[in-house]
Amino acid sequence: MKLPLSWLKEFVPGDLDPGVLTERLSMAGLEVEAVERLKPAFSDVVVAKVLRVERHPNAERLSVCEVDGGGAGRLNVVCGAPNVRAGMTSALAVVGARLAAEKNAGDQACGPALEAAVIRGVRSEGMLCSERELGLFDDHRGIVALPDDAPVGQSLADYLELDDCVFDVAVTPNRGDCLSILGLAREVAALLGRKLSPARTKRIRSVKRAAENSIAPIAIEITAPDLCPRYAALPMAKIAISDSPLWLRRRLKACGMRPVNNVVDVTNYLMLEIGQPLHAFDLDRLRQHRVIVRRAGEDRELETLDHVKRPLLKDDLVIADGEGPVAIAGVMGGLTSEVDNSTTRILLESAFFDPPSVTRTSRRLGLVSEASYRFERGVDRQGQIAALYRAAQLLSEVARGCEAGAVIDVEPQPQPIRQVEFSTKLITGLLGAAIPAGEAARRLRALGIKVKRTGKDSLEAVIPSFRADLREGADLAEEVARLTGLADIPTLPCRPSAEVGGEDQRRELLRAIGERLSACGLSEIKSLAFTAPEENRTFGRLQGTGPVKVTNPLSAELSELRQSLICGLVAALRFNLRREAQACHLFELGKVFYREHDELREGLRVAALSYGELAFRGLGERGRRADLFTLKGMIEGCLDTLGLVDKAEFVRLPGELAPYLHPGTATDVRLKTGGLLGRLGELHPELALTLEVDYPVAVCELDVGELITYGSLRKPVAPPPRFPAVRRDLALLLDRDFPAAQVRSVIAQADASLLESVELFDVYEGGSLPAGKKSVAVTCRYRAKDRTLTDQEVNLLHATVTSFAIERLGAVPR
Amino acid sequence: MAELAQSASLEQIENVRVKVLGRGGELTELLRSMREVPAQERPAIGQLANQVKRDIEERIEVLKNELRRRALGESLARAPLDVTLPGVQFPRGHIHPLTQITERLLDIWAAMGFEVIPTPDIEDDFHNFGALNFPSDHPARDMQDTFFLGDGLLLRTHTSNGQIRVMERRQPPLAVVCPGACYRRDELSVRYSPMFSQIEGFAVDEFGKITMAHLKGALTEFLRAFFGPTSQVRFRASFFPFTEPSAEADVRCIFCAGTGCRVCKHSGWIEILGAGMIHPNVLRAVGYDPQRYSGFAFGMGVERLALIKLGVDDMRLFFENDLRFLTQF
Repeated sequence: MKLPLSWLKEFVPGDLDPGVLTERLSMAGLEVEAVERLKPAFSDVVVAKVLRVERHPNAERLSVCEVDGGGAGRLNVVCGAPNVRAGMTSALAVVGARLAAEKNAGDQACGPALEAAVIRGVRSEGMLCSERELGLFDDHRGIVALPDDAPVGQSLADYLELDDCVFDVAVTPNRGDCLSILGLAREVAALLGRKLSPARTKRIRSVKRAAENSIAPIAIEITAPDLCPRYAALPMAKIAISDSPLWLRRRLKACGMRPVNNVVDVTNYLMLEIGQPLHAFDLDRLRQHRVIVRRAGEDRELETLDHVKRPLLKDDLVIADGEGPVAIAGVMGGLTSEVDNSTTRILLESAFFDPPSVTRTSRRLGLVSEASYRFERGVDRQGQIAALYRAAQLLSEVARGCEAGAVIDVEPQPQPIRQVEFSTKLITGLLGAAIPAGEAARRLRALGIKVKRTGKDSLEAVIPSFRADLREGADLAEEVARLTGLADIPTLPCRPSAEVGGEDQRRELLRAIGERLSACGLSEIKSLAFTAPEENRTFGRLQGTGPVKVTNPLSAELSELRQSLICGLVAALRFNLRREAQACHLFELGKVFYREHDELREGLRVAALSYGELAFRGLGERGRRADLFTLKGMIEGCLDTLGLVDKAEFVRLPGELAPYLHPGTATDVRLKTGGLLGRLGELHPELALTLEVDYPVAVCELDVGELITYGSLRKPVAPPPRFPAVRRDLALLLDRDFPAAQVRSVIAQADASLLESVELFDVYEGGSLPAGKKSVAVTCRYRAKDRTLTDQEVNLLHATVTSFAIERLGAVPR
Repeated sequence: MAELAQSASLEQIENVRVKVLGRGGELTELLRSMREVPAQERPAIGQLANQVKRDIEERIEVLKNELRRRALGESLARAPLDVTLPGVQFPRGHIHPLTQITERLLDIWAAMGFEVIPTPDIEDDFHNFGALNFPSDHPARDMQDTFFLGDGLLLRTHTSNGQIRVMERRQPPLAVVCPGACYRRDELSVRYSPMFSQIEGFAVDEFGKITMAHLKGALTEFLRAFFGPTSQVRFRASFFPFTEPSAEADVRCIFCAGTGCRVCKHSGWIEILGAGMIHPNVLRAVGYDPQRYSGFAFGMGVERLALIKLGVDDMRLFFENDLRFLTQF
């Protein structure tokens, strides 16, 4: 909401410092986002009266005028404007004046100083100016015409308040009452401890009453009282459509509105000033002279003022005449009943429309007008009639000769008086500040709230009709706190007494996963959760699940939620390869989304992508290139951190289950007790082709939910062993396809309590080995807690283990 | 001894030592066979054998020292290295700046006694709006343009759903922070992202035990922990549907120290977070009696804090995943 200081001063007279205002409003919840200083685009121009106009003796199109410039004296001025006439009040630039640069109206830069000149033999001691010459508006058809009561001799800049300051106030959605100069003035008065001046709202006597027969009776009916509890209207006759006076147009412009004509400008002016949107119908275009406020029902369409045909739903509230809709209530008027230059009689509408109804219709049509913006946020429930009187008064000033009929007021549902009882204990309990009842009452009264003391600590507030946001004690506590900008609330240490539950241990686990992966050389990325359907089809296919679709996506490429983090990692790889990257080692920890059994689910995952050389290289050396095993090592490290390395196993996965992986590398990471932890492999060569990569791209994705459920950072701690271990190697000849890891896990099951560990150290095929066979070698470590083992003991143990391995694995010893 | 004399390396010496003195070595065998020597000759022969053993050991030690000295000399004589050559590169990954900032923020709240609880991103209208006192068809909802998923579900527009999710299943006293991703229908740009992260926090206890004064205290402590102990903090009245009274907390601009710059829009203050006393309607929605309980709530945008802290001004940096940016952290 734009708030010109000059307009504000009509309601809060006296000195107002812009800096102080900005500060106080902002602290009280009405943030001033910007302050714009307005300056006139000219200097030394005064209000002047044209006393006499004569034809220029030597030029047909020029006049010679005698002009009264007040303090500037009576001057002789040559003028070329067609509209100059004796008796008119206009703007006179005296000698030495500077005017707006001719080309761009509104430009702040002033032109050269005006000099006295002799024009075709006649001396001219000044210049009567057009609006464009003054940088006000673009009109250059003639000289400025000011109202007759403009004070002759006054500086035009002062008269038009061109030296002004406009505050841009961010009004929060609860404060519909502050979407007007009056509403903001009320706040300013309360904040500064000033009195709110009633301004000119009551001056209606000057309006001429229309004769009974000059306005046909208008019948107004509300058939949707739930959506329109009050509808008031004022017929007016003998309207002459013209431009509004300069001062009024200047104010509209300062508030960001475009002047149209005197009738429309008056409705806009009052909406800005008091917050009540008004609409002017051309009375003679309202068929049957009837107005019906009703649901659209069967009516399907209305062409609005902006020449757009708007579709209607049956529950949209419309204003109809005897034959059909003429306006979308509270949103925009219809084209057929528009006021134009031929209009002589109007019907001014001033209503209260149900805010949610206006919001619904305006949202659906994507049409937010100045009016709908205010109706949505709630206008003064009782402000309709006063707005009509004020409009009539203003029209009588700007459309001279107009006459007003009688106000028609239909209010099927009067609003009951709203009272809120509350105690100072509530205020203290919420604010933590002891504010005495008397002080609380004083602050509330400053805001226009009637307050009664009903006991030592208890108060009763009568909520004014313009404050729909005040409903209960907490709302009033806020008003009390707000008026001093929260200054009287102390700052107390906060030590909650709540016990901390166990749920945040999960954060430690997540942090450990991230730290472990980054220690391996992976950098964390963050991708948007939105992805394209084909990405989900490629990376997200898990049996029995489907994608989550966004109903209103930003684009087709972002129309689903990711089912896998791998699509984001691949996108990041592509992005970085195009930007100088030779290698890419990435991970992401985030949520994935999927549909399962018609329910939407989310899961936390960690995924990694590793491509190109891994660091650990000196000058001129090559680092190891990432592949399945480098990434597997990182996963093993991660599982180790979580105490899961011995509980998990890596299992060959049929390629068709993970079509994005190279079928020879597709791997499941499982818990030995059952349950899938995740997947690992190198990207399918076809995908790799689209990335234009030279080496394998290893990817994996693990379910963090499972890792957290089964993992733990709390490992038992043991002192180092006191006695040495004895190692014995064992080499076995096995079928080529036999998984090497099973050798280790099978031997570990041998019935030998002193067998401390089994480590794989060599796998070998070819050479002297028979075809289709491989040699797998392991080191067995034996150790006793209480003594050094003797050779004989170890030999015996190892013999047992060896025969166990041969038997269980069906292997041949080498 | 001759073999020893010819030994040119520590390894060769060791071989000789094993051959002679080792288990099953020549001299060891000799000493072991002493049992066969007649008793009266044993002391003399034994003494001799031990003498020989000591000699050999001594000799070995001398030779070893000599070889070591020689090696030392050679090593020292070696040409000096070009120490300006680069060191060997070690793998090093980087934690995303948003993760680092989030962790820092959560650490501060955890140290102040707040429990960290995760909450869902996919929500229903009730938990994201209705229970938080956003009436349907109210312009307050415009502040948050929502992504819908059908069946009445949506992507949460703020982490405030955490208040409802936690209070629904637990009773006061509560002190909780809920971090997580939020979603609003904004194109990714310098200032906005369709996905961003927030941290919601709230504390509830018996009425009057937790007041706006405690909220000021908690937020001041938090902001000083994050921005530095001398940071100036101010509170302004504001509006959020789910708090009453509502406030916003500002910090003295860290770029211009309050003299006015582009970042603080020449106000000298940077808006950091929103907060307030939990609205009675929110308490009612979760079945708490607002006359019996009260509490505060606050919410902060992680990206905003990160941008301020890092002194960068482009939201896209966080989601583009350019390694040239990420590897700086």
